Parts: sequence; C-alpha cells; structure tokens
Amino acid sequence: VVDWTNIQEALRVETPKLSEDFARRCPAYYSRYAGEQDKWGYNIDVFARWEILFRFLFEDYFNLTIRGLENIPNEGRAILVGNHSGLLPIDAAVLSVCSANYHPSPRRIRYLVTDWFFTVPGLREWIINTGQVRATLANAHELLSNDEIVGIYPEGLRGVGKTFRERYRIHDFHPGFVQMAIETQTPLIPVATIGGDEIYPNFVNVKTIARLIGMPFFPILGNFPWLPFPLYFMCLPVKWMINVAKPIHLPYPPDRAKDKKLCLKIAREIQFDIQRELNDQLRERKSAFTGWEGGEEPDPSILRFIRQKK
Amino acid sequence: MTTFADTYKKYADVTVERNEFGFDKVRVAQAAPILGFLYENWFRVTMVGLDSLPESGPALIVGNNGGILPLPALMLMYALMRAEKPRRLNVLAEMSWIEDERLYSLLTELGFVPWSSANAKKLFAAVEVVALFPEGIPGAVKPVAEKYRPLPFDWTRLLPAIEERVPVVPMATLGCDDAIPVIKNLDWLAALMDMPAFPITPLFPWLPFPLSLTPLPVKWDMHLLKPYICEPEGDSRDHMEDAAADRSCWLEGEIQAELNRMIRSRIRAL
Repeated sequence: VVDWTNIQEALRVETPKLSEDFARRCPAYYSRYAGEQDKWGYNIDVFARWEILFRFLFEDYFNLTIRGLENIPNEGRAILVGNHSGLLPIDAAVLSVCSANYHPSPRRIRYLVTDWFFTVPGLREWIINTGQVRATLANAHELLSNDEIVGIYPEGLRGVGKTFRERYRIHDFHPGFVQMAIETQTPLIPVATIGGDEIYPNFVNVKTIARLIGMPFFPILGNFPWLPFPLYFMCLPVKWMINVAKPIHLPYPPDRAKDKKLCLKIAREIQFDIQRELNDQLRERKSAFTGWEGGEEPDPSILRFIRQKK
Repeated sequence: MTTFADTYKKYADVTVERNEFGFDKVRVAQAAPILGFLYENWFRVTMVGLDSLPESGPALIVGNNGGILPLPALMLMYALMRAEKPRRLNVLAEMSWIEDERLYSLLTELGFVPWSSANAKKLFAAVEVVALFPEGIPGAVKPVAEKYRPLPFDWTRLLPAIEERVPVVPMATLGCDDAIPVIKNLDWLAALMDMPAFPITPLFPWLPFPLSLTPLPVKWDMHLLKPYICEPEGDSRDHMEDAAADRSCWLEGEIQAELNRMIRSRIRAL
C-alpha cells in the first residue's frame, strides 16, 4: 500500500533544497521575486520545483534556439503576444523558464489563463503557484499597473487544440490585447514559436467525447489516451525556435482604445506578422527534429542566445 | 461560336472582340467548354464573394498561386464569364520566359498580359478587371510541404493599382496546391534548360506530355474578400511605395488567414 502522506512529506522536504538550487542558478531572478506575496498566489518554491523539468525540456529535449530574448525589457511592463501550440501550453512554460535562466535581468511572465484550466482540480493550484493569472480585464490591468510582463495567447484554447494538419496556421487573434495595450500605453512584444505544434501530433479531435467530459478538446495521439498515465504525456523531441520581436510602442492616446476598427487592424497586423515569421522559418527548416541546419551548428545569422551564454 | 454566344450571352455582349494585347474572343469561345468542364466537373469550384467585385470600373484581384499551371487564373476567368454580371478578366503574368510562340499567343488570346506597370495602367485606364498573382513563378512551384503558405508578395506589382487608386480584391484559392502536388523543384535542371522552374510531380515529367500535366480532381474553394481602395498619404513616389509595401504585406496576411480558415472548415467537412 502506498502511503501518500509519506510521499507528500518527502516532497515537502525536497522543496527547500530545490529552491536553494534554483537560487544558486538564477540569483537575479530569485532575489527579485523571492518572498514576494501577491494576490494571485505566485510561489517561487513551486516555480523552482517545476523549473527543473522545463529547463530539461527546452535545453536538452527540445534543443531550443531563442532569438531576441533581450527584447523583453529589463524594467517596466509589456505584453507578450504569441501563437499558441501543443495541447499542453508548454510553450508558455518554456518561455517563462527561459526568461528566468537567460535573460540579463530576468523577468517573470504572468500569463493570462482561460477559465477552463481553473476548473481542473490539480491544475488550478499549479497554474496559480507558477504565476499564472485568471484572464479577466481587471486582473490584466492590475498586473500591468504593477509593471509586470503579461503574456497573452490571443488564440486561446482554439490555438492549443490545433490538429496536425493545421499546424502553424494561426487562428484569428481576438483584438482585446491591443485594446488593453492602448488603454494602458504598454508596448506589445510579438513572439513566434516554432516546434510546439509538432510535439503532440494531434490527428483527430473527438468533439463528442470532449463535450461529454467538459474538456475544450479531446485529442487522439499516438500515445494518448492509450498508454498509462505519465507515458501519455511523452512528446516528440522536436527542435524548437522562439523568436521574440522588438517591442511595438503603439502611437495612440488611451482614448483611442475604444476604436474597435483600429484595434482589430493592429491585432490583424500582428497576427499576419507572426504568421509570416512562422512561414519563413518553416520554409528554411530542413526537418522538424534536426532544425534549420541539418543537425549541424546553425549559421551565425541565427543568434543562439542560449549556447552563447553557456 | 454560335453556341458560345448563346450560352454566355451576357459575356459575349460586354466583351470586346480583340484588343491591343492580343485578346481574341474566338479563342475564348473555343476554350470555354474545356474551362467549363474543369470548373464544374473536375474541380467542382465553390466560388464565394463574386458580388464583392465592383460592378463597374477597374479592379485588381490579388490571389495565391500554386500547382504549376495558371489554373486559379483560368478558373477565375471562367467564373467571371458565367457570372450574373460578367466581366472579362485580364491576367498580368510573367511571360517573358515563354519562347514557344503558340503557347504565348494562346495565353494572350485568352486574356493574359505580360506584366509591366505600363500594361497594368493601360488595363486600368480601359476599365478592365485584372488578376495578379504576386508570388510569381516560385509560388506556383512551391513544394507540397509548403502548400497554402504564400511566399512573400512582391509589393512592386501593386504599385500601379495604388497609383491609380484601383480597388484591390484579395482572393484565396484552396485546392490549387493539391491539384498538382510538386514534390521538388529542380533549380539546377531549370537553369540547364533555361526554364524558370523544373518541378517534379507524381506525373510530370514521367508521363507523355499532355498527361503529365493532368491535375488531380480536387475540390476547389475560391473566396473573394472585401475590396479595399488604398489612399496613400501623399502623391509622392515615397508615399506610393510605402502604401504598396504595407498593402502587399496586409494582402498576404489576409489571404493566408483566409486560407487557414478554409483549411479548418474543409477538415470539418470531411
């Protein structure tokens, strides 16, 4: 018989050690955010515990190349806007952990998360503790007035549940993020992620089952739902590339935020830009697993921020 | 010719017999049954948004291209021919590489016009509907792995329309890239043979000539989107160029987004 209390005790003992470890590795991040209590329940110990997994994922498993991480400002607020992908929102976690590890002045990224995730019991605490926030307008405004980096995936859940045939085809962006950026005079930073759409080749989306159990989508993969619990989360070791663009400062006064047409136009422009970036990168890519240079070191024009820092 | 005049009476009425670019209505009458067969029976084209085309006055239709042959242009030509308010379509295309005079004259007789901004302006002045596929030949032979991902549009092709304030209508075509799937484009062989491209498809160059270019019977969807008249900020060359560059980026994104939507709805339909 498994004694669950013992396991929980063991994990609780491990946590301080992991936090110390994390503090040693990312001193700037740790000193910035340690002991900070905010109303959304960010907990750096939980972040430190999960950081190991996601660092392994992006450094070794996905072999991530990130370009333009320095475009995330050292101080002040910003809104990150990206294309969503990969069933589990791994792209968000990877970018957070990458920012903690490799940004010259590390920032935590507060993602706005759809309500559905908060209805899943285990997931709810995890999402809250790692710094995610329920997506409401009030929360977003408060985060921005606290000078935080807010991450938004305007595609929402539709973007995560893309099937394999639709990979890297962006759903239309909801213009709410532009409205918020104009209202609060916040720069927008587009982020294009390649790789996420292929880690879980989602062949069919069984809508009937999804509706039955109240999920937004129910994918059928090679391993899901056939294999037992942890195994069905196994993803393919696809080569990842994240491009963080330069911040866009929108030259409009706050009262223009009510102009729906303007907001939609800017949202579309950003959507088209990200889509074009994805198309360009896909055209140059040799294969999904080896990436852009057939398994060899990429040419110097692709700035490999991570490897240079090592 | 008589049956053509009966079937496409309105088209025959509004269309000139010949024009300076070599258009010939007789040739169109000869081609009409073939185009009709391709449109109705082979590709079963669903055409949406033809009424968004301005009823009178010049217009520029900008679309994505694929599948070696200029099939999207021909299908659009036929759709406009049998429309409620028919218009004659001119297609601005890269034709300088064609050395075979029979092919060249066939294309011009159907309404293709070699691309130049002077020709484009002449067509706009003559109140014609013009189609343009700004990806050019590289877009037509893009491999099937990149299907329905338009190459970056050449914004200089849009300049005449911006300068003349002509409404620009984006068109997204789903089906053209599947009709003739290009496996690989052999650049070196193309250079050797002095051709713009040498695509390898499941049929080309393996089968004897006309068979090798047979398109697969894929169901086509063609969507015309909302027309847009561009108003540059000023009349100087710089303003025109900025407007054209912006607009071509926007058109590219709009067509790509529409293709994404169409692909999604097609998956659902299956």
